[in-house]
Amino acid sequence: MITATRNYLVFLRRCANIAFVGDWRYYLWMGALTVVCLLGLNAYAKQLVHGLVVTGMSDEVSWGVYIANFTFLVGVAAAAVMMVIPVYIYDNEELHDLVIFGELLAVAAIIMCLAFVTVDLGRPDRFWHLIPGIGQMNFPRSMLSWDVLVLNGYLLLNVHICGYLLYCRYQKRKPARWFYIPFVFIAIVWAISIHTVTAFLYVGLGGRPFWNASIVGPRFLASAFTAGPALIILALQVVRRVTAGGSAKELATGTDASNRSGTSASLADFYQLSRELPEMAWVSIADRERALAGASVIDVAAGDILLRQGTTSHFAFFVLQGRVVVKKEEGGLFRITRTARPGDQFGEVSALHGTAREATAIAEEPSRILRLPDTSLKVLMETREMEQIVHARMTERLMITDRSLFILRSIVQVSMIINVFLLVCEVFKEFYSGTTHGASAKYLFLGLEGHHALVPWIWSAIGFNLIAMVILVLPLSKSLKYLNVACVLSIVGIWIEKGMGLVIPGFIPTPLGAVVDYLPSLNETLVCLGIWALGLLCYTIFLRMAVPILQGRLTKANEGRPEGRGDTAVPFPAAATTKP
Amino acid sequence: MPLPEPTASVPETGSKNLDRRSFLRSTAAFAGLTALATSLSPLRELGDYTSTEQFLQKYYKELTPQEMKQVLERITNEVEHQYGIRPHVRDLKPMDGVEFVYALNLTRCIGCRKCVHACVAENNQSRSPEIQYIRVLKMPHGSMDVEKGDHTYDDKEVPDKGFFYMPVQCQQCKNPPCVKVCPVNATWQEKDGITVIDYDWCIGCRYCEAACPYWARRFNFTKPEIPADRLNPEMAYLGNRPRKQGVMEKCHFCIQRTRVGKYPACLEVCPVGARKFGNILDPESEISYILRTKRIFIQLKEEMGTNPRFFYYFDK
Repeated sequence: MITATRNYLVFLRRCANIAFVGDWRYYLWMGALTVVCLLGLNAYAKQLVHGLVVTGMSDEVSWGVYIANFTFLVGVAAAAVMMVIPVYIYDNEELHDLVIFGELLAVAAIIMCLAFVTVDLGRPDRFWHLIPGIGQMNFPRSMLSWDVLVLNGYLLLNVHICGYLLYCRYQKRKPARWFYIPFVFIAIVWAISIHTVTAFLYVGLGGRPFWNASIVGPRFLASAFTAGPALIILALQVVRRVTAGGSAKELATGTDASNRSGTSASLADFYQLSRELPEMAWVSIADRERALAGASVIDVAAGDILLRQGTTSHFAFFVLQGRVVVKKEEGGLFRITRTARPGDQFGEVSALHGTAREATAIAEEPSRILRLPDTSLKVLMETREMEQIVHARMTERLMITDRSLFILRSIVQVSMIINVFLLVCEVFKEFYSGTTHGASAKYLFLGLEGHHALVPWIWSAIGFNLIAMVILVLPLSKSLKYLNVACVLSIVGIWIEKGMGLVIPGFIPTPLGAVVDYLPSLNETLVCLGIWALGLLCYTIFLRMAVPILQGRLTKANEGRPEGRGDTAVPFPAAATTKP
Repeated sequence: MPLPEPTASVPETGSKNLDRRSFLRSTAAFAGLTALATSLSPLRELGDYTSTEQFLQKYYKELTPQEMKQVLERITNEVEHQYGIRPHVRDLKPMDGVEFVYALNLTRCIGCRKCVHACVAENNQSRSPEIQYIRVLKMPHGSMDVEKGDHTYDDKEVPDKGFFYMPVQCQQCKNPPCVKVCPVNATWQEKDGITVIDYDWCIGCRYCEAACPYWARRFNFTKPEIPADRLNPEMAYLGNRPRKQGVMEKCHFCIQRTRVGKYPACLEVCPVGARKFGNILDPESEISYILRTKRIFIQLKEEMGTNPRFFYYFDK
């Protein structure tokens, strides 16, 4: 128990330490975000002193960009589930490695949501009135109390899932399924519920006909499942770029050791392996002897290349001593996908499947490697324990393939079509029937009584959405360049449509028919920017911790080494190391 | 080589290097703390935002009579400190067998807005920014559609020909949407039908303001200002005691008057007798008589299902 606690604290300390390690671009980025955060904090301090009068809100339009951003971000958080569903329900392998990035994005988005509702409160000092037990939570009558519960619940669920999976990866331990799979499925339902509940906040208000429409819930989900995965597509490419270390050309300079003959392996080598890989101990002597056929031990120097991406061979490898790093080329840049330490395997996927090498393996320090032909590996894997560990470790890697991005593309594609369709349904109902209830929609799309504040916004949003939909539907978006354009357009379009375009016109005209425009004030805008900066800061820190863990750089095995140097080195952004 | 340096080749950290690093680190920490302090500096003006007593105050319905006494004492002292007048603050409870109902005669109302101003004076509403519970709509003859109403009419003389006037205030609904949505139960309906707000419990989320179909709720976007010589010292906890920045308020049928048997201020000031108020549970009351005998009376936005206790009627 004490050891477990100590290990966990060490893990947390190391994660915290690594957040402060990076190159000048990392510091510049984090510094800039901190400055914007502080500007936002300063603006919020002014708001606390003078009240919400420093915003553009009034008794007529009593919610503004704070709640608009909140609504948008709940959608982003909910959309993380769109990566989880293909992985856990349809067993999609491509997306498996990426789920954690979606969930970390959800955590950052929920943090932003909570910040946005807090700054919207007139009396944030009384937040404790909301806490069940010591306060007075109006549950289940008030939808806002539901929202408080589901948002905090979702935050906890995702923190648990990400935290547990990352900690297991750090410890090189297989996660216990019962300890996270049930939570994954709860989180799937929960994600739908957070966005539905947020929609119901609006839908439940009979006095606001613009919101009091059952289509708001489905529209929220459709737009969330468009903007969320679109944001993840962009975020993953950024992660891929900043974690890439060096160009393909530079990697070619290493000595090729893939054809080195080495010495024949002996039972002593298997014994040495079993000391690093306890599962090996289950393999019988007879099986070990059978597996010796074709097995050899090779000694390599730092920089030697053990296998190359794109080639084919039937060998799999285990590290006996030293350290081997596996790098994959994606988009002309190499990125560490895995770090193999004594007891670890590499090259097993293509050996077992007979496919081309997915990545290049390079010795990072003088190493001794056990090289097995696929037949020997299969012999070892006849033992259940070995089979399980080899399979479990196959997924221990960090890969962001183009294919996984295009799976997300198909989600964005379908969601955008549904989103635009639901928008058309809504516009038809508001305008064709011609009832006085259409006044808000009229204000939004055409302007009312000489007030046109939202008209240019909503038409730009619709323009963006339509262009994005066309790009997404055409084969054009099979190129990442165009897909990115479509993603940016969808995110901006939906941010306007769902934030400004849904929250503000609900108040205009007022229930007594007054038409009053709303424009966010500078102070209000600064607070918003501050919260977005806070969210990005959190997400960057989460990635800064998660990436090295997924790459095997930050692991229990190298506990006690100085962070960011030697075998814990994970330059961030990694491209910096390419400079000679 | 693009590879990260192996451990062996990491240069040993000399003491000089260490000094430089720790110097940089402490400089960065100092700069960060200074920036943080600077960004928070506006908080120095926070003043009497909340006292410990007020911060820890319990929910209205959970206060024991003894605790209520202390709370009233605190409020009295606070008001005296701020305005130099010692007010008479009471916690008035609803009377048994009473349910208040309001009726407004649209034929008589001339749109003079005297009710608006009487309400502001009686209920210690902020003069800057202006907060008013009653909004009078100038409506063209022949329509009850509020969207045709003029909120800001500024005629030299009222009534204007071709128009009628419709004052709107809290409708004291039997099925109030504002109460349902409040996440902390800071607003509720009392036994006598008045929907009240605990100004010391409201968190200022403004969900009730969004939920109200009558635009009856007002938010204190900043610290309310009331000239000390205009302060009404006769106060009720759930009524007209001065509010704080960041909380909601609204018409409460002048709880400090009606619960001790007086008429609301808006009714007393009305020069044409357009306003009627009373106990609907008493069959002999004037309000019961009006609702029994008038052929047409209107609940505003009846289709909302809010069932207001505020009725509009016509003479002919």
